[in-house]
Amino acid sequence: MDSAGDNRRSVEYGADPKTAQPKGRTDRVKYLFIGPAVIWVLAFTIFPLLYALYTSFYTYRFGQRLGFVGLDNFVRIFGDVNLLSSLRVTLIFVVGTVATEMILGVGLALLLNREMRGKNVTRGIATLPLFATPVAVGYLAITLYYEQDGPINSLISALGGRDVPWLSDPVWALVAVILVDIWQWTPFVFLVTLSGLQSLSSELYDAARVDGASSLQNLRFLTLPLLAPLLWLILLLRLVEAFRVFDIPVSLTLGGPGRATEVYSLYTYRTAMRFFDHGYAAAQGFLLLVIVMLIVSVIFSRVRGLYEEEG
Amino acid sequence: MYRARYLRFSFLILVAFLFVACGGGEQQTGGKSGVDKGTAAKQVEAGAYKPQRVAEPCGNDCPYEGDTVTVTVNTAGKEGPISGPLYEVRNEFEAATGAEMEIVELPFAEHFPKLMTDLTSQTGEYDASIAGAWWLGDLVGGDFIVPYDKYYNDPSFPQWDDQDVLPGPRKLLSYGGNRYMVANDHDGQVMYYRRDLLENPKHQKAFQKEYGYELRPPQTWDEFEDVAEYFNGKDLNGDGKGDSGLTLHLKVGGQGMFHFMSFSAPYVIGPENPNLYWFDPENMDPLIDSPGHVRALEKLVELTDYGPEAMTGWSLGESWDNFLRGEAALTFTWGDLGALAQQEGSQVKGKIGAAPIPGTDEYYNVEDGEWVKTDEINVVGNTTGGSWAGVISKYSDAPEATYYLLALMATKEKSTVYAARGWDGVDPGRYYHFLPPDGTGSMENYRQAGWNEGDAKEYTTAYYDSFNAEQQFPYLRIPATFEYWTALDTNLSEAVTGQASPEEALKKTADEFDSITERLGRDKQLQIYKTSLNLE
Repeated sequence: MDSAGDNRRSVEYGADPKTAQPKGRTDRVKYLFIGPAVIWVLAFTIFPLLYALYTSFYTYRFGQRLGFVGLDNFVRIFGDVNLLSSLRVTLIFVVGTVATEMILGVGLALLLNREMRGKNVTRGIATLPLFATPVAVGYLAITLYYEQDGPINSLISALGGRDVPWLSDPVWALVAVILVDIWQWTPFVFLVTLSGLQSLSSELYDAARVDGASSLQNLRFLTLPLLAPLLWLILLLRLVEAFRVFDIPVSLTLGGPGRATEVYSLYTYRTAMRFFDHGYAAAQGFLLLVIVMLIVSVIFSRVRGLYEEEG
Repeated sequence: MYRARYLRFSFLILVAFLFVACGGGEQQTGGKSGVDKGTAAKQVEAGAYKPQRVAEPCGNDCPYEGDTVTVTVNTAGKEGPISGPLYEVRNEFEAATGAEMEIVELPFAEHFPKLMTDLTSQTGEYDASIAGAWWLGDLVGGDFIVPYDKYYNDPSFPQWDDQDVLPGPRKLLSYGGNRYMVANDHDGQVMYYRRDLLENPKHQKAFQKEYGYELRPPQTWDEFEDVAEYFNGKDLNGDGKGDSGLTLHLKVGGQGMFHFMSFSAPYVIGPENPNLYWFDPENMDPLIDSPGHVRALEKLVELTDYGPEAMTGWSLGESWDNFLRGEAALTFTWGDLGALAQQEGSQVKGKIGAAPIPGTDEYYNVEDGEWVKTDEINVVGNTTGGSWAGVISKYSDAPEATYYLLALMATKEKSTVYAARGWDGVDPGRYYHFLPPDGTGSMENYRQAGWNEGDAKEYTTAYYDSFNAEQQFPYLRIPATFEYWTALDTNLSEAVTGQASPEEALKKTADEFDSITERLGRDKQLQIYKTSLNLE
């Protein structure tokens, strides 16, 4: 063995030649450390993805493969009016929920990011919806939205308004689903934004105050630019989550009336688990994957741009 | 000081919140169709009225010692609809056979997929399933269950007679000439009305004056609409608030399509067309958008004007609850409502009447493409619903013990009590369930189960007439029945909520039917459809 050579390599790594391990062993240890992670990704991400792709080229029924259909399942997507309807509903849901949650969550964080009595309690209560199970929230909402003497309609009546057909009217039903999601997920935006706000250096604001900046100028020229990467990240997480929404529409409306609240995931679930058309469901899954990947790419490039501007 | 108060306050809110979030509070109980059964009527305590022992303990000579029978059933618990009798009979079955019995409760939505997964993978984990009648197309079509004809007359098994079952529900027990389902529950829809209202002289006089004919239990859908219109907005339960002419459950996934099946049958089925409702048996073209179906849906949409606006978002539990609170004059639904009306909390015990689903005076013969006037009211009986009953898996390693269990539950001694009790979800359908002169049952049976005599008489007569009707609604039993019905259900919802006209909704349904048929193979579907109608 060329000990001098080994020492040279060890020196190259910046290690103490006396204690350094031979390269072969170092490599083995390295693989041991990353091995579990690689196996995990292969088993639970790559394999299911490839298997889903494989599945999408076949027709299935009750787990039995009936035949190879090539790209037919993907072609079907574009002629399936019910799928396109579910995509439309999902887009309305995503825009309605994410936009409102971002505005409310950031607004609430700005409001509560100050010294006030009961600050911690208020923050604690504001985050409570996050801990609720979405299905339980959906069923709870059925009671709240109950149209005949339900709590919300009773309140509206007491204030002199007309009963709202929350679950029996197509438009109101979608509004009802969106409101529940906003109630549950605004606290997430609030919580993460608040933690971002609290990490901002107070020296910048002190300097701005000395320069005579108003609160609005602080918000516009300091807070929002500094928070921008975090806000993009929150937006990304909420968009991805909103595109996959399933529990609340299932428990609250079952996608109705008609298909008014049938979101994409619910449609795919029905295709796979009610109609046992697994090949087509896999193809639908890939369409959603492509949509979400596009959104992720756009947002990542935006965030990268922000860092480059800073750099 | 403030801090401590805030902490206490936040702790209380947190506890209350977590209680709700974790599903605390009142849980919805599963109805036999997997939907909650309403809240106005409380369930009678299970176990108060029990069937007698039929099978004697086997002692040292047990025929199925070492066997285990695993049976799947919709999740509803030890005292729940359909599952309750299984738990009740377990000890008797095990003592009589030496076999063990395992009950696997599966949520309604997962029951069929899990069973099919077990069957297609040939795992044989489940020996039997308390199945819905519409599963037969998949189960028999895929050759996944075995007929029990060879056991039926064997005296070593508990004896029951399929001729005791009325003609309508009896058809569901067999498929292609073989017996597959062991009789248990007998579903069908009838019309319920408020007897106290229709017999009230004040209403009779006012109705006569307004509509020009006497107030009586509606016999046609036109009469049904008149009665619903008349009572709509009137206070029907004395609480000082206006109530509804009718109540229905029309939520997507709330089984509203069953309403439409029962409702539309007399618009399509008639003496010259006893069978064709779903598909053309020549080419499997859908018939669901025929002028008869369209007229029926137009009428159903009209009727929604006389019910609560919210009912287009109701499952059956909410609709039943509305009727049981005395807030509606009419409805049409399953037998469970009659039994629930007898329970504590019901506002309508002793006030309900029942009759077969109303008819029409003309129907559209899909074969000839013409409307046909009828001399008498065109009435069509139905077995709409699940009619949950046991089937035996082809992969069972204990088929005989399995049949023993199902036959034991089908015996007259057991079934008589099951059919009269509200809580177990088993509805009547055999001659001995019905009162004389129709059948051989006894009022004492219903009295012991807590029934009002007048209600019991109306209820059993209505079901007898419906199940015994000359014309019966053709039940769909082909592969992917549930998928066809889901398409119908969703498009019906669009029609009743004004998102599509009745014609558009049914045209879309027909297109979706076609697409399902194409995907599964038109020839294969056609062959099974013909078999299901005994056309081969």
